[in-house]
Amino acid sequence: MKWQCALLQRWLPEYPEGDLPAFWKGRLKAHLDRCPACRAEQAALREVVEAIASAPKGDPGPEFWTDFSREMHLKLVRAAQAGQMAPARSVWWGRIPYLVGAPALAALLLWVAVGYLNPERPGLTPPPQVAKSAAPAVTAPPAAIAKQESATPARKLAAAPQAPAELGESQNFVNVARNSGDEAFPEEDLDDLDSTLAGMTTQEREAFLKKLSQHEKDGSCLTRYSAISSA
Amino acid sequence: MTDAQLVAQAQNGDLPAFEELVKKYQREIYGLACRMVSDPEEAKDLAQQAFMQAFIHIRSFRQDAQFRTWLFRIAINQCYNFLKNRKKFGDPVNCDEVVLVGEGDSPEEELVTQDERRRVYAALEKLPPKQQAVLTLKVEQGLSYQEISEVLGGTPGAARVNYCQALKTLKKNMKSEEEDEVAMRTSPAVATRVPRG
Ligand SMILES: [Zn+2]
Repeated sequence: MKWQCALLQRWLPEYPEGDLPAFWKGRLKAHLDRCPACRAEQAALREVVEAIASAPKGDPGPEFWTDFSREMHLKLVRAAQAGQMAPARSVWWGRIPYLVGAPALAALLLWVAVGYLNPERPGLTPPPQVAKSAAPAVTAPPAAIAKQESATPARKLAAAPQAPAELGESQNFVNVARNSGDEAFPEEDLDDLDSTLAGMTTQEREAFLKKLSQHEKDGSCLTRYSAISSA
Repeated sequence: MTDAQLVAQAQNGDLPAFEELVKKYQREIYGLACRMVSDPEEAKDLAQQAFMQAFIHIRSFRQDAQFRTWLFRIAINQCYNFLKNRKKFGDPVNCDEVVLVGEGDSPEEELVTQDERRRVYAALEKLPPKQQAVLTLKVEQGLSYQEISEVLGGTPGAARVNYCQALKTLKKNMKSEEEDEVAMRTSPAVATRVPRG
């Protein structure tokens, strides 16, 4: 068989009135006009389809269906009474990996690309959802989690991310979180700091700012924080 | 009432609503199982099992899919599992058990068409399960390639290729069935040695 025949014969069962793109329909028509082998194949396939279609499905008769319905009914009642119906699979939870995964991956790629192309840019931290979904292995210590639970939702999202090696300065943020032991402070984007502070009680704010200035003395934090903390 | 309405009611535990769905699709599901396993008794069991599975998992069914294709998918999985076990334990199949309903032909004509039908059934039976499924879904249940791909997985394009392949295999099987019958008629002694399975 010629390669052209092999290619076209894959569409043959749909010719002429089936589910067939116009392009293939045209090519098949032209080919069938001059290829007796494909014409024979088409006739044979049509015969096979007719044979299946005309072979009657054994109709077992009304008695069969009466029995079928009765048996079905008993089985269904038994299953319902035994509470066998499985609960609905939560669509929301099931879709979370997809919902979070795609934008998170896109954001991560963008973040890596920008960081890689412009490593001098300060304060390049991952967006919160990247921090959450891209680094499930690095979890905040229990004390930090408890602290975060009581804070704003923005803080909850900011679990310590595992930063890729090529992130330049942004690694500092991760190091701070790692080095500060069980009292990691949130690593939101600096632009988000105001909103974070706004969501805190006076006591929390004082503790947070004290923490910041401590890190500044250690030299483990960016100086940009000092302006805010002294304000 | 539409499938979507019946399904929604069934999801809330309404048994009669689900039984309505059973009545609506029992012939198709039973017919599919008959084709797949060539044994009416087993087909009945498998159809009932498929409906039971659908009932148990009805709350997981999402309304953005078609109930009918979802049901086909469950039934075909039941049949696959059955065929896998049968292959493992070597249960023989008797395709004569398939009930053939006459269509009012004369006795002679009836005999000839019965022979033809038997040949089709025997040829169908020798197909791999997936090809059997694709043929039944396309030719007998009238599903589109898109719907077939929803039932069997894969893409609509793959379903089309699979269908074409199944037709070619069936054609070959039917031819060899015919040759076997000719051999049997001309020489019964030879025919007993011709393997037909
Ligand atoms: Zn050709």
